[in-house]
Amino acid sequence: MSNILRWWSGIFIAFAALWAAHWVLPLPFMNEVVVFSIYTIGCNFLLGRVGFISFGQPAYLAVGAYGTAFYLYYFGTDPYLGMLIGVLAGMVFAMVVGLLFVRLRSDYFALVNLALAVIIFYMLQKVLAEITRGDNGLWFLTNIASSGPFNLTRPIQFFTFAVLMAALVWALYKYLDDTLFGACCLATKVNETKLEFIGYDNFKIRWLAFVMANTTTAFAGTLYAIYLGFVSPEMTSPARTADPVVVTILGGVGSLWGPLVGTLAYTGLRDVASKFIGNWELFVGLILVFIMMTNSVGLYGTLEAWARRLFQKNAAQENKA
Amino acid sequence: MIEREYLQVQGLNVSRGEAHVLFDIDLHLAPNEIVACVGRNGAGKTTLLKSISGFLPCDSGTVTSFGHTLTGQRPYEIARLGVKYVPQDKRVFSDLTVAENLELGSYASGDHNWDPVVTFFPKLKILMDRKAGHLSGGERQMLMIGRAILGQPKVLLIDEPTEGLAPSIVNHLKHVFTELSKSASILIVEQNLPLVCAISQRVYALKEGRFVAELVGADQIRPDVCEHYL
Amino acid sequence: MSSQLLVSGVIFGLSLASIYFLISIGLSLCFGLMRIISLDQLLYYTVGAYLAYSVSVATGNLWLGIGAGVIVAAVLALLIERVVFRRIYERELTFSMITSFGLLLGGIGAVKGIWGVVPRPVRMPFDDQINLFGTDIPVYRLLVIAVAVLVYIGIWAFLNRTIIGKAIRAGIEDMEHVEGLGINAARLFTITFVLAGALSALAGGMYAPLIMVDPHMGLEVLAFVFMVVIIGGLGSIKGTLYSSLLVGQVVSIGSLIYAPLAIMAPFAMMMLILLVRPTGLFGSALAK
Repeated sequence: MSNILRWWSGIFIAFAALWAAHWVLPLPFMNEVVVFSIYTIGCNFLLGRVGFISFGQPAYLAVGAYGTAFYLYYFGTDPYLGMLIGVLAGMVFAMVVGLLFVRLRSDYFALVNLALAVIIFYMLQKVLAEITRGDNGLWFLTNIASSGPFNLTRPIQFFTFAVLMAALVWALYKYLDDTLFGACCLATKVNETKLEFIGYDNFKIRWLAFVMANTTTAFAGTLYAIYLGFVSPEMTSPARTADPVVVTILGGVGSLWGPLVGTLAYTGLRDVASKFIGNWELFVGLILVFIMMTNSVGLYGTLEAWARRLFQKNAAQENKA
Repeated sequence: MIEREYLQVQGLNVSRGEAHVLFDIDLHLAPNEIVACVGRNGAGKTTLLKSISGFLPCDSGTVTSFGHTLTGQRPYEIARLGVKYVPQDKRVFSDLTVAENLELGSYASGDHNWDPVVTFFPKLKILMDRKAGHLSGGERQMLMIGRAILGQPKVLLIDEPTEGLAPSIVNHLKHVFTELSKSASILIVEQNLPLVCAISQRVYALKEGRFVAELVGADQIRPDVCEHYL
Repeated sequence: MSSQLLVSGVIFGLSLASIYFLISIGLSLCFGLMRIISLDQLLYYTVGAYLAYSVSVATGNLWLGIGAGVIVAAVLALLIERVVFRRIYERELTFSMITSFGLLLGGIGAVKGIWGVVPRPVRMPFDDQINLFGTDIPVYRLLVIAVAVLVYIGIWAFLNRTIIGKAIRAGIEDMEHVEGLGINAARLFTITFVLAGALSALAGGMYAPLIMVDPHMGLEVLAFVFMVVIIGGLGSIKGTLYSSLLVGQVVSIGSLIYAPLAIMAPFAMMMLILLVRPTGLFGSALAK
């Protein structure tokens, strides 16, 4: 019993703290952070555990967001149903796309995903403009019902809901990490030949991981859609492909908390820095290069190392005393 | 005394990934010597040659040639110092012709005199315009050695040259190595014990990453003695 | 479709192919020899275009601008190769992808800082048109195609007739052996990288009068260039040539038939090819 408590305690503490932070930091900022970090954890998982980098995460974000948007704009008002539809759309899309993409070498994978994001962008902007209203996007804020366990039209209630969802997502990934599946994913990244010899199907494992990561991304998309009450093709424009990659690297690849820390830092920096440093992209690019070159373990890894050293120093002092 | 050693290896330790493969290896090459390193598959013979020639990093130990330190240098710097590695896989630049392969060797070493190459390997003269990818195994081995001797290296590290070759070619190579040793020293890694015993002045036996014996003299350098140590 | 439209479509496709080819060659060579993905080539493309703009506005001469662009981009590439890539050659592919992406992003930021976000037009040096097969074709477009053809011949000559070119070809096949002969690998890498950057800048400079120069132009072309290298296969010059021609025509003729085809068709083609050959038409495998 205490094991279960201990397992959950990390997640509970982290997300409780995150929720409490809205008393200190602006609510719009916090909402952005929560949803963005869900967006990022998929990318982080893909890179850190399976070894694939995708420059096309926005594609799946858009599929989820637009799935929800179509429902709420054309059909109904229930935001929860809308989210479900968006997630399902994302999952099916990832399942189909994954069949082809996952067979590719890592560089082709990254580039092909980028091409996909551009295609989706183009389709939303021009090809399907009749139903997507092109660049104008779809507005449906007023369509969202206020019923349900949380009234998602109110930012604070949305925030609570989102934090809850994020906690569940984190629990899911943490659980997977501890299971055979998580170990297999790591193995496909490190030594796929050996894994095959033991009898595991690399392709299936990768495909499952791909579907999971991108369904999570689609879920983030649905959350964005509900939160903003608005979607537009811009979310998957070429300029946006950088966001999840940068945050993943910034936070630290492969760590469970990396996405959260990375998102906090990235969003915070962006809001603060763009007031002072006019040139956000230059800054981001340099950070990315710097992190790669110095082999950094990202923000979370660095913080973790500091904390560990701090605790060790304390323990050593106690031993001495 | 040390400065005159064509090759000196002291306390070499090499790991590949997590596995410690070579343990405290000491060897030396005196002038104009043919020295063999024999051992079973996986003993670490190729690792030894690759670490000496700079293709694998060393955990500890030093490698010097004529007083120049080789450890820590890039492979092309080591090759320029006169220590040439002839790898095991009989790979030549298949898209280039035989002549172009040799041209690259000349460009690297500054030695455009192909006479020694053609003297050792007359067959290459006929094959000059053929794409190296179309050569047989034996012809490729000849090309690889021919390429390596441009620039008159002092040390040749040759990795299993006779593997998969016909006896007549093996015989030819035997003579080539003996001739070459008049101007260079050769460290040859081989599984072909009769060949090695016929031409070497010394034989090191490598077993599981360690030298377990150094055989000197005609009564020791025999296939059965080698087998005993492996 | 009228024959006039078709002819101009084909010419347009060929000029597109020329631009893609110039950038893709660099990407392909860098992969083939150094096993890196150099997304920052798109930055040299952008720099080439912007310098063509600035210098041509200052001096009234586009050719000076293109020349300046190539030189500046080459110097930039040299610096970046020395400072950044030299340290990461041995790492896995994703490493260079992310790092070069960071460079591209940072570079775009720098471009924005220097030139601002507003798209700039670049004047064509001459407006002449020539009548081919009953259609009026802008001579400039033909010039772009001619330059690409010259570059192809030049690259071919370089790789097949010069010793450094042969060393590069040998290195693409087996870099270890090349080093084992005593050839300076670092210098070979630098030469290849700078060459790639120069070609990308040439593409940017030449293309500038045909489009508006804006900070994100590299990102807009990125997807197409990727499709070209993926279809042709990373590491193959021949493959790059064929796939540039193919994608150029598909984009051009496709957009004449039905506008969205311009991007959907190459993508579909790329997916189909990858289904059959996961490393592209002529792609080289990664394992050494």
